[in-house]
Amino acid sequence: MGHAQNREYSQRDYHAIERDGEDLISTHCCFCGMQCGMNIRVKTETKEVIGVEPRYDFPMNGGRLCPKGVAAYRQAEHGERLLSPLIRKNGELVKASWDEAMELIVSKIQEVQAQYGKDAVGVYSGSSMTNEKCYLMGKFARIGLGTKNIDYNGRYCMSSASFGFNQSVGIDRGSTNPWSDIKSADVLLLAGSNTAECHPLSMPYIWGARDNGAKLIVIDPRQTKTALVADIHLDIRPGTDVALANGLLHVMIEEDLVDYDFINKHTTGFEKLKELVKKYTPEYVSEITGVSAEKIVSAARIFGQSKNGMAMFARGVEQHATGTDAVSTYVNLCLVTGKIGRKGSGFATFTGQGNGQGGREHGQKTDQLPGFRKITDPKAREYIAGVWGVDESEIPGPGLSAFEMLQALGSEIKLLILACSNPIVSSPSVAHVGDYLKSLDFFVAIDMFLSESCELADVVLPSTVWVEDDGTTTNVEGRVLRLRGIDRTPGESRRDWEIICDLAERLGRGKYFKYDKPEDIFNELRVASKGGIADYYGITYEKLDNMQGVFWPCPTEESEGMPRLFEDLKFNFPDGKARILAFEHKGPNEKISEEYPIFLSTGRVVYHYLSGNQTRRIESLLNFCPDPYVEMHPNLAKKYNIGNGEMVKLSSARGSIEVVAKITKIIREDMVFVPYHWGKTLAINHLTNPALEPNSKIPEFKVCAVKIEKKAEIVGVKHG
Amino acid sequence: MSRMFVDELSPGETVATSPTPCMHCVTPACAESCPVQAISVTSDGIVLSASLEKCIGCKNCTYACPFGIPRVDDVKKMMYKCDMCYDRTSKGTPPMCASVCPTDTIMFLEEDDLKNHSPKEVQYQWDFGGTTIETRTVIGLPDTKRNSFGFYDGEGVQS
Ligand code: SF4
Ligand code: SF4
Repeated sequence: MGHAQNREYSQRDYHAIERDGEDLISTHCCFCGMQCGMNIRVKTETKEVIGVEPRYDFPMNGGRLCPKGVAAYRQAEHGERLLSPLIRKNGELVKASWDEAMELIVSKIQEVQAQYGKDAVGVYSGSSMTNEKCYLMGKFARIGLGTKNIDYNGRYCMSSASFGFNQSVGIDRGSTNPWSDIKSADVLLLAGSNTAECHPLSMPYIWGARDNGAKLIVIDPRQTKTALVADIHLDIRPGTDVALANGLLHVMIEEDLVDYDFINKHTTGFEKLKELVKKYTPEYVSEITGVSAEKIVSAARIFGQSKNGMAMFARGVEQHATGTDAVSTYVNLCLVTGKIGRKGSGFATFTGQGNGQGGREHGQKTDQLPGFRKITDPKAREYIAGVWGVDESEIPGPGLSAFEMLQALGSEIKLLILACSNPIVSSPSVAHVGDYLKSLDFFVAIDMFLSESCELADVVLPSTVWVEDDGTTTNVEGRVLRLRGIDRTPGESRRDWEIICDLAERLGRGKYFKYDKPEDIFNELRVASKGGIADYYGITYEKLDNMQGVFWPCPTEESEGMPRLFEDLKFNFPDGKARILAFEHKGPNEKISEEYPIFLSTGRVVYHYLSGNQTRRIESLLNFCPDPYVEMHPNLAKKYNIGNGEMVKLSSARGSIEVVAKITKIIREDMVFVPYHWGKTLAINHLTNPALEPNSKIPEFKVCAVKIEKKAEIVGVKHG
Repeated sequence: MSRMFVDELSPGETVATSPTPCMHCVTPACAESCPVQAISVTSDGIVLSASLEKCIGCKNCTYACPFGIPRVDDVKKMMYKCDMCYDRTSKGTPPMCASVCPTDTIMFLEEDDLKNHSPKEVQYQWDFGGTTIETRTVIGLPDTKRNSFGFYDGEGVQS
C-alpha cells in the first residue's frame, strides 16, 4: 500500500466509514511518540468534533489506537477549555481581552529586560508542539526576546538518549531503524520500557517478531505487561543498568559471541571496554543488580547468538543520574555484536512525548540551533543568522537547561513564558518548583486548559487543541509526518504560533516573524536545518502527504529520506567509526539509608499521559485510573502491616505524599512504584530527586530513597 | 453502537482485563429464548441487538446466553449487546473494537484467513455440560510451544 517504504508495516486494507454531514480530518494522535494516524469526525456545518474513526492507511498503526488515542478527540469540545485570556487581578485570574493581556505582557517584558537585562526573561516550552512551533519558540526566544534562556520539557524525557546516541554514533535520531524492522529481529532487548502500556502500538511489531520466532528479553524492575510475555525477564534493581549491560557484554566477550570483524572495521574503543567489563562477571553483576547470574548468562547468550536483534529502551534507562552512560552501554550491545545497519538490527529509544524527536531538533534546546546545530559553533551561528536575517552577534549563547532554569526563577530569571508544559507536576521536588514559580516578577502561561502551573500565572493565554492547527511532528522512528487541522478557533483561543508572532510584533520584532500559515514556518525550518544533522531540507508538505511521512535526513528535493541509518556502516564521526564507550557502574545518586530504606520508582499507566493535564480531564480515562497508588510487594507490605487498599504515607528527604497501597507480586521486594500523572498533593514528584545527569541534565526521576508509614485502614477502595 | 462487556477492570493493577465479545453463536440461545422474537440474526450470521419496538426487557436472553452477553437496561427496559458494529461490518470494515485494539488481541478475520494465516490454534466449540455450542467468534489459544512467556496465576506472579 502506498509508498515502498511503508510496505512492511502493520497497516490494514479497510476503508474508513464516512457519514453524511460529517467530515473526516486525517491527522495524528496528540499524545505519545508513536504518533498514530487517526481520523477526527467533524460535523461539516458546525465544525464540531464528534468522534474518531480509524485511519487504516497510516502505516505505523493501521487504524489501531490505545485508550488515550481513542479518547483524545474529547479534548476538543471539553467544557474546561480556556476560551479567553486571563489576567490576575487582586489575586484572581479574571477574563481579559487579548489586547489588554498582550500589552501587559509586552510592558512587563520590557520592564524586566530594562532592569535586569535580556536574559532575565526565560522561555520554557514543550515537546508536544509541532516542529513549526518548536522551531518558532527557539527563534522567538533568541530573536524576538534576545534571551539565551530557552529550554523545553524534553529535558525530562529523552535528553539522555539524545546525548548517549550522539556520543556513541554521532547522530541523535531516536531509532536507527523503521518500526517495520522490529518484525525482522531474532531477538529484542527491551530495557526500562513498559512498551505494552506506554507505547501500545509498538506491540503489533513485537508480536510480529515473536510470531517469527524472535526471543524477547525484558529488563525492568517490575513484571510489567511487557515483561510478562518475555522469554527472559531480568528484574533489575532500579538504577543498575550500566552494571547489567556490562555483565551482558562480559559474558558475550567471554563466550566469543562478539563480531570482531565489525568491531575492527567500524568501531573504536573496544579494548578499553573489554578491559573494563572483565570484572563484571555474572556473579558480581548479580550482586549489584539483584538479577540471578543464570538469567544474565542466558540473556547474553540469546542476544549474542542471534544474527539480527534490536536493543530498545526508554525512560527507565534514561531518567537517571547516569542515564547517558546507560544509553551508550546498551548501544554497545549492538556495536560489539555488529547488530546495526540492517533490517532487524539496530537500537531505538521509545519517544515519550508526541514530538519528542522533532522538538529537540530545531533549536528550542538551549544549547542548540535548528538542524541539531551547536549554538556554540561559529559556522552554525553564522548560517542560522543568515537564515534569520540578523547579525550573528544577535544570537545569544547557551543558557540554562530546563530544571536549572526553574531553579533560577526569581533570581536570575524574573519573567517566564511557559508554553505547552506543566512543570509543577512533571519536575522533580515539585514543592520547590511551586515556590520558584511564585517568586517570579511576572509569569505568562500559554495552554488550552488551566493546568496546575497555569493556576500560578499572572497571565494565561488560551491556545487551540491539536486538531485546530496544521503542522508536522517527527515520530519515534524519525518519520516526519503531517498533522491536519480543522479551521476553527473556539471562543477567543488562538493558535500558539499566532500568539508568538503577535508577541514578536508587539515587541517591535515583527519583521522576523511574518508567516501566514504553518507551512511558511516549515519552509523556513527546512532551510534552517539544511546541512545540519537533522536535515529536513528535502521534506515538503506535498511529499509528506504522498509518502505518509518522510524519514530525516532528507537533504535534497530528490531524496526520499532515510528510513534505516548506517546501512553503509559509516557513523557520524570524521573517521566514520562508532565509539564503543566504557562506563563503570556508579549506581543511583541517592542511596537507601536507615531513615529511607526503600527505593521509589515512578512511571506511567496506559490511561494517562505526562502530567495528566489533558488525560485527567477526559472522563473515560479518569474513570479507568482516577488516582495514583503505590505498588508494593506482599512481603514488603507485611513488614509494615499494610493491607491492600490502605492509605500509606511515602516520604523522601524532599517531601511526602499519601496514596493507596496496591499489593502485588509484580514488583521487587526492595522498592515501590507510583505513577506520576497527578498534580498538587497527589504529585509523586514531591519526593523525587532533582539530581541531574551531568551531560543531559535529565533529573533522576526513576529512583530515590523513601520511607513508608501506614496511615489509615480504609475499606472499599479497590486497587488490587 | 457496538458494546463490549468487560468482566473485570483492574485499573492500575494491569491493563489486562477480560473483554467478553458476543460470540455470535451459530444457533444463538438468546434469540431462540426471546419470547417476542426481538433478536434477529442477519443473513451473514450476526446476532443483532434487540429491536427497539419489540424488546420487553424480560432478560430471558441474558439467562439463556451461555456467555452472559446480553445486558438489559433496567430503566429503559431494553436489551443491548454487541452487534458486531453492523454499520461497519456490513461494509467490510472491522468492528470498532477490532479496528482500534492496539495489540491485535481482537481481530476481524474471514474464516479462510483464520485457517490459513493465523499462527494460533483456535477454539470455536464450547462444551456446556454436554451441550456443544458452536460460535463464530473464536478464541486463539496461547502458543506455549514456541514461546516460554509466563501467565498470571491470579495473584499477579509469573508461573
Ligand atoms: S498515545 Fe501513542 S500509542 Fe496511544 S494512540 Fe496516541 S500515539 Fe498511539
Ligand atoms: S482493546 Fe485490545 S488490548 Fe485493549 S483491552 Fe481490548 S482487547 Fe485488550
